[in-house]
Amino acid sequence: MAKLILLCLKFTILCGTIEAVFEDQVGKFDWRQQYVGKVRFSHFDTHVQSSKKVLLATEKNVFAALNTRTGELFWRHVDKTGPEGNIDALLQHGQDAVLVVGNGRLLRSWEINVGGLNWEIVLDSGSFQSACLVGQQDTVKHVAVLKKTAISLHYLSNGHQKWIENLPESETVDYQAVYSGGNGEVYALGLVPHSHITIVAYSVEDGEIIKQISVEAPWLSNIQASCAVVGQGILTCVDSATVSLYILDLHMQSQMTQIPLQSLGLEAAPGFHPALMSTQPNPARPPLPEFFLQLGPEHYLLLQLNNGQIVTLRDFNLPVACSLNLFSAETGRRLLDTTLIFNVDPNGGKPEKLYVQAFLKKDDSVGYRVMVQTEDHTLTFLQQPGRVMWTREEALSDVVTMEMVDLPLTGTQAELEGEFGKKADGLMSMVLKRLSSQFILLQAWIGHLWKLFYDARKPRSQVKNDVTIENLSRDEFNLQKMMVMVTASGKVCNKSLPSHLVILIFCFFSVKLFGIDSKTGSILWRHYLDNIPSNAAFKLMVQRTTAHFPHPPQCTLLIKDKDTGLATLHVFNPIFGKKSHITPPTLPQPILQSLMLPLMDQDYAKVLLLVDDQYKVSAFPSTKNVLQQLQEMASSIFFYLIDSAQGRLSGYRLRMDLSTELIWEVVIPTEVQRIVSVKGKRPNEHVHSQGRVMGDRSVLYKYLNPNLLAVVTESTDLHQERSFVGILLIDGVTGRIFHEAVQRKARGPVHVVHSENWVIIFCCFYEYWSTKSRRNEFSVIELYEGMELYNSTVFSSLDRPHAPQVLQQSYIFPSSISTMEATLTEKGITSRHLLIGLPSGGILSLPKMFLDPRRPEIVSEQSREENLIPYAPELLIRTEWFINYNQTVSRVRGIYTAPSGLESTCLVVAYGLDIYQTRVYPSKQFDVLKDDYDYMLISSVLFALFFATMISKRLAEVKLLNRAWR
Amino acid sequence: MASPGGQGGGGALSTRGGGGARRMKWALELSLGNTRSRGDRQGGQGDVVYPIGYSEKPVPDTSIQETDKNLVEKRCWDVALGPLKQIPMNLFIMYMSGNTISIFPIMMVCMMAWRPIQALMSMSATFKLLESSSQQWLQGLVYLIGNLLGSALAIYKCQSMGLLPTHSSDWLAFIDPPQRMEIMGGGMVL
Repeated sequence: MAKLILLCLKFTILCGTIEAVFEDQVGKFDWRQQYVGKVRFSHFDTHVQSSKKVLLATEKNVFAALNTRTGELFWRHVDKTGPEGNIDALLQHGQDAVLVVGNGRLLRSWEINVGGLNWEIVLDSGSFQSACLVGQQDTVKHVAVLKKTAISLHYLSNGHQKWIENLPESETVDYQAVYSGGNGEVYALGLVPHSHITIVAYSVEDGEIIKQISVEAPWLSNIQASCAVVGQGILTCVDSATVSLYILDLHMQSQMTQIPLQSLGLEAAPGFHPALMSTQPNPARPPLPEFFLQLGPEHYLLLQLNNGQIVTLRDFNLPVACSLNLFSAETGRRLLDTTLIFNVDPNGGKPEKLYVQAFLKKDDSVGYRVMVQTEDHTLTFLQQPGRVMWTREEALSDVVTMEMVDLPLTGTQAELEGEFGKKADGLMSMVLKRLSSQFILLQAWIGHLWKLFYDARKPRSQVKNDVTIENLSRDEFNLQKMMVMVTASGKVCNKSLPSHLVILIFCFFSVKLFGIDSKTGSILWRHYLDNIPSNAAFKLMVQRTTAHFPHPPQCTLLIKDKDTGLATLHVFNPIFGKKSHITPPTLPQPILQSLMLPLMDQDYAKVLLLVDDQYKVSAFPSTKNVLQQLQEMASSIFFYLIDSAQGRLSGYRLRMDLSTELIWEVVIPTEVQRIVSVKGKRPNEHVHSQGRVMGDRSVLYKYLNPNLLAVVTESTDLHQERSFVGILLIDGVTGRIFHEAVQRKARGPVHVVHSENWVIIFCCFYEYWSTKSRRNEFSVIELYEGMELYNSTVFSSLDRPHAPQVLQQSYIFPSSISTMEATLTEKGITSRHLLIGLPSGGILSLPKMFLDPRRPEIVSEQSREENLIPYAPELLIRTEWFINYNQTVSRVRGIYTAPSGLESTCLVVAYGLDIYQTRVYPSKQFDVLKDDYDYMLISSVLFALFFATMISKRLAEVKLLNRAWR
Repeated sequence: MASPGGQGGGGALSTRGGGGARRMKWALELSLGNTRSRGDRQGGQGDVVYPIGYSEKPVPDTSIQETDKNLVEKRCWDVALGPLKQIPMNLFIMYMSGNTISIFPIMMVCMMAWRPIQALMSMSATFKLLESSSQQWLQGLVYLIGNLLGSALAIYKCQSMGLLPTHSSDWLAFIDPPQRMEIMGGGMVL
């Protein structure tokens, strides 16, 4: 019986349609890149000489280990986003890495070889201040955690708390640092700003207060920013006002000694707050007596503290560093043969931080490797002669927007295209053009032959097959495209404060543009934009595709400063990443919105309209030709603006003189609800079928209004009984509201997809007291025109008297979602799927068929004829719907879909912390032969048949002749 | 019958058959045994020499007789009514084959549709056949009507099977997407 069941099971499995990839297709059409984000803490694993690990703790709450030889990840742990998973401190000792997570909420120890968790304990509540390893007699056994009101000591081996002590006078004293010099004492350094320093020494054994002293320091405001412990437990502070160093022996003195910098013959740069840096290589030993003093942005001093005397070892007055040297810390002399030249990428940012791994070579000379972190969050690993071992573009974990651009045609294709694309002048010039293009083709061909010949002589290993910008060309089915990604990561201004004190004010965005080959994922170009204002909004537009050959493709990035409202345009070539020679217009007025028109100027660039705060419109490019076209078209150009702050939706029409007039306005009271998002249709979307065939073979025509907008609102009242999510379907030209729906007891985040004649909304229903109504729901709204088309040739919003029929249905989804997008294909014949990024890291391809408001509750003959699935409130997640099989994509923030040259195929890019690219086939690959298609068999059969017919024909002839002779 | 006389005759006649050719008017087998009987028969036929003016084909009797005329008329009516007589049979087949679209019903329908069309196309040949009849035109008309009915039946069958593009859904794929009159864009204030 069991065998029978097994057989049945096998049978059903074999018969079931397989939508997932086959094993041999893994990684063939898809790739994933894993990132960690901007590095906050980094440690080289030095406990084993041959170790190849570097530990990184990042601002994305990721803790990872990288291979220093290749730059690949050994392992990675992604914690919760936001302050809950924030990594406050990273301490490493031997094979253990201790992390303080979530503002001192958790203490975790990781085993760094395999990335396994040793232990995790929950710390007592309280704001985290500082942590350090505590050693005794050259062994490190404890870790001390300083919080706002208490200090605790934990065993490094199992995390158990050894003791916890309340800090004295914690209401007035702000304890900021903890220090241990390996002598059985732990010092907590506290400060009453502009008054005195409090130093409390605890015994490691039982937490008893050995000593408590308070030292006058009226000039000091922050210990972490201006003090460091140097040498045998000597607290050294720098004061910018009096330009002097203060030293204090933590063990005995109770008075600070002032050493003016002038006495050392030093001067600080005016207006610069000097800073101190010291190192403690081994937590069981006191820090080194040598320390750095930074006096200016590029002025550093290596000082040595020797019996209360400060000696200057070396003065570094460096311009922007491009070469690295290793200096002996004891003497300040430069070590021989340690120069390393680092070429700063002109398209990258300036170096920001260095992480140095020094080691002894076999011949006892010192070698070192450096990991350079630049402003654009790039990690570059350098080996000694200046060889770049690897580069990681960590900015790619912050993609804000992206576009996919077709690759240019090959020289041959482009020449032919170009010939027909150019404007015709006359017979003679056409002939000349044809001749010249043929000549260029010939030239290219000869060049190609020469290259082949040349390459053939070289040994095989030297011939590179890498994709570079030079050999990029469109493939047969346009499956390979250029992904233009805009990354913007906020940069924290004040870095000297400990992380938990920083209120995340972004001084400026570090914005970097990337061009990535969609087939392999290799970065083909990068361009760092500096001086981008904080709080910027971005809009990336493709003005000219690669289809107009002699003219280069052109992308425009609109960067708007949200504070001032002023915007700038960055115009670039998306294939090469170079800034275009076209000077974008200067925009003196704040810009509200931009609008890409399908009009083209004489150079085939689409016209971009920019609407300023006076509701005047400027065009880019603004040639005479464009302005003339605009004047002709003005009466049919409309735009809408949605002001979320005022709850105002307004529609405008363009006038001949490029001013605008308000034609409609809808105000949503902001006290009750606020507008969360608005979704129009994608301009490059094609809909092949204008209607749906009913069971009785009549047609239900779709309401395909290209001007339809789906506006989503959320209630401002977040009480679970009164909260709601509203959806408004509104015509962007006339302002006519077609449908309004309210989901009660629902709340955001709301995800919306709007395509063809349907809108899919995802929201959570949340009722605290009842688990039954705590669920996630998909709602689908479909619009139909009815059984007859009003006007089948043209669509004008101004002339549609009948309101569409609205159908709506809801389904329960078993998971929350991160993002949602619909597939897109060239002609829109292929059925649509919904791509859903789940928080678990999966990307689900849900057929739209399941989200169809015509799904009947009772199955009838007609619904069966229509292939409608009977309604079931629960949508199941089938595992074969995951398009990324086991390649988890962490923290998906967006999914981008682009059509390919094949109607069956849609290109998908999911971005978040990771980037994942794949292809999906919503209706299977109906236009492509299978991957494992047996060409050999088919062709051999064909040939065999062909020869068989030839032979049999001959034989038949002979036989006929013989018969004739008989 | 392998007599020496026969042999001699063979020798005499071989010149008439175009000596040396394989295909002979007659042949004499000298060998004994199994081929004897065949040689027998051929020898028997070969012995007959046709008289002058004898034709092997029968000459049609051209004399018209009254009874024959009736027969011709009857025969012509048979031809003319043929298609009509097939209709009940076709109806039965139609009923039996059902409305599902599968290979056999399709084959039936194809045959049913093709036969009248074929007949209509070879109308002139049929008319030639009916030439001898006095009611030629009436018969032709009946023949035509019968075939038209047959094809109508086939069309009805196609209709009931849903093979005819009579519904609006059949023309759905040919509707072009409507042209857009207004250009619209915009969004949230950046």
